[in-house]
Amino acid sequence: MILSRGEILPPEQSGAVLAKLPEWIAGTYADGPLDPACVIAACDTLAKRIAAGDYEDAVRLVIASGLATRPQIDQAAAFFCRENLEYKYRTEFGAESFPVRERPPGAPFAIERRMAPLGVLLHIAAGNVDALPAYSVIEGLLAGNINLLKLPQADAGLSVLLLAALAEIEPRLIPYLYVFDTPSSDMETMQRLAAFADGIVVWGGDEAVAAVRQLAPLNACVIEWGHKLSFAYATLEASDEALAGLSRQILSTRQLLCSSCQGVFLDTDRMEELYQFCERFLPILDREAQRYPLPDLGVQAQITLLQYTERLEAAAGKRLFSGSRTSVTAGADCTFELSLTYGNCGVKRLPRGRLAGALRPYKSYLQTAGLLCGPADWQPLCALLRRAGVCRIRTGEHMSIPIAGEAHDGTFALRRYARIVETEIP
Amino acid sequence: MNYRAKLFGWRDPYDLSGTDALFVDAIRENVFFHYQHCLEYRKILTREGVSPEQLQGIDDLRQLPVLPTLYFKRHTLFSIPERRMVLRSTSSGTSGAMSRVGWEWQDCAHALRMVLRIVRRHGLLSLTPVNYLVLGYQPHRSNQTAISKTAFGFTFFAPGIRRAYALRYQGGGYILDLDGLKKALLRYSRQPFPVRTMGFPAYTYFFLRELQKEGVRLKLHPESRVCMGGGWKQFYAEKIEKEELYALAEEVLGIPESRCHEFFGAVEHPVLYADCRRHHFHIPIYARVMIRDVKTLQPLPMGETGLVNLLTPLVRGVPLTSVMTDDLGILHPASSCGCGCPSPWLEIIGRVGLRGITTCAAGAAELLRGAK
Repeated sequence: MILSRGEILPPEQSGAVLAKLPEWIAGTYADGPLDPACVIAACDTLAKRIAAGDYEDAVRLVIASGLATRPQIDQAAAFFCRENLEYKYRTEFGAESFPVRERPPGAPFAIERRMAPLGVLLHIAAGNVDALPAYSVIEGLLAGNINLLKLPQADAGLSVLLLAALAEIEPRLIPYLYVFDTPSSDMETMQRLAAFADGIVVWGGDEAVAAVRQLAPLNACVIEWGHKLSFAYATLEASDEALAGLSRQILSTRQLLCSSCQGVFLDTDRMEELYQFCERFLPILDREAQRYPLPDLGVQAQITLLQYTERLEAAAGKRLFSGSRTSVTAGADCTFELSLTYGNCGVKRLPRGRLAGALRPYKSYLQTAGLLCGPADWQPLCALLRRAGVCRIRTGEHMSIPIAGEAHDGTFALRRYARIVETEIP
Repeated sequence: MNYRAKLFGWRDPYDLSGTDALFVDAIRENVFFHYQHCLEYRKILTREGVSPEQLQGIDDLRQLPVLPTLYFKRHTLFSIPERRMVLRSTSSGTSGAMSRVGWEWQDCAHALRMVLRIVRRHGLLSLTPVNYLVLGYQPHRSNQTAISKTAFGFTFFAPGIRRAYALRYQGGGYILDLDGLKKALLRYSRQPFPVRTMGFPAYTYFFLRELQKEGVRLKLHPESRVCMGGGWKQFYAEKIEKEELYALAEEVLGIPESRCHEFFGAVEHPVLYADCRRHHFHIPIYARVMIRDVKTLQPLPMGETGLVNLLTPLVRGVPLTSVMTDDLGILHPASSCGCGCPSPWLEIIGRVGLRGITTCAAGAAELLRGAK
């Protein structure tokens, strides 16, 4: 499915759309800037319609395909409401969200400073969260850009539906929205798309980013939202409630998101304390798991194979604590390791004194730290985690809860999709 | 007593009940050999608290530690010195994730007896010269993958006149040459000899579909056959019903379903499984299969889906006695097939995981994608 000029078309039409695109883009430029207020209003209407159940069939499809749960969809929809988007716009653009007019110290004249769009954004979206492609486009719209979206292969069709709905609500958005379902392997089309772009927004791993850098024309900037790693840091004082909250985070995100907890570092140097912690954590994790669906048979089989292989390897002091649905693995070293996902969590020792040094090699990949500790430790540990390179510190339960206006991997996305234009005031 | 020789010399390749005791003896003998000659294997047995003597009855086999193919990809386990290995092969994994397997003379001799017995049973041995179309790799000394060696081996079941390859070795790498293959097929079709195709099912399917699109309709020699092996691997998503493939073979090549054959086997479990006339893989006497629970790894009753544990006493070069593949499968009772074969049959329903551990057909698929 592709979306062009507000119409959903079959994929065969992509050649014809691409041929017309230069002319259409030039026309849109000529027609003048996109008012963020109309983007916000359209999104607000869309959010209300989703909440009212207007897109129930599509929502059910997404839930059935396992891409998102009902609360996650409600949360995502709420994200598009007026209040949230206005807050996001104000926060991310800061003072420049309204043109600033001032005379800088020592300057011979006054200037007006305002944000302007990059121009045309090509979004190359990842498939691990549904509706994320649409979200990326809405950010592009807020910054005033014309958006070309290349859908991920795993997209269940929700993104096209949402964007088509937006175009229907607010026809002024029509010339700013194009969606293509070109496979990444179709290099010719990808190159044609990239040639239109002033900025290419890429979501995905190092491989995807490297591929896009190859594609990108020299004059386009590449905005990378690469894969990130998140973890929890716990002291021995972490309460059972906090561990239950962390468990819900782990289980509801299946440890598949950048902000999902991949593993727990425990503030201790002693293996016995690590084992005791695992024995305490496992029943909590397993109990919470009863409220979530079982992983697919193939996924469970893969996890079991990996764990069993590690057992045969007697991997460097690892000890597996296996529950009925989940597992916790105590590791002897303090390196960062990916979890086996779906409620299978590694726990390692990392006394606070060694925290910053141990995490340093992963600095460019770190995103969220979930912190589980007593009140007296909160501030000093936050300071340590900030120095270690994390971009977000939350309680365990809230690691993956999206909030309006939050920075994305340490920067404001809207600012990356825009440029600052300074104009002399004569 | 050489139990392995006795097992591989057994007349009926599907007489499972008649060979249960012998199979256990051969397994115990094989485990004992690896226990003595492979330190890493001995360590695993010791840690898991199993000694070869414990394996006395068929039910004891479930105690034997299973080595996942992933383990062979991470570790090279040899039970004989490399200089005594007469045949080496690897799985076709990418990024170094490759199993390395080595065979001694006796291993090869027994494997050959097994293969001959199975292919004769399935009517694949013939003295009529045939032309071969290999939908896979052209053999080359740089290619150690078992799949290329097996495919090449298949071109000796009947005397070969000519062999054409879909993946030709050229300038230090493989290129996909469907055009050349097509031309060869058309040439063969005008000769008074049967044609045999051999290759990945996915390749066979794509090749036949190409021919269909171009309107090719041949009536090959009535003794021609379509042979497929190597599994579907990452083509699961595009997996078509076997019936569609057979219909295509009939339409394009004029080869009826009864002359389409599929084989199953793996580098880590080099036993030949050939499908029956109902296209089911019955377990031959050289192997036993257990399906294990995806969480607990406990053996499951017939009819349930789980991880596939394959046992064979064939190889002494590497402890392949009891391995587990990345497949999910079901073991069905013999009676549910209806072909009359007395042995249960194995159905492979997919690969583990979402990400899919890439193995055998990986390289082939890459080339295919590049060519699309």
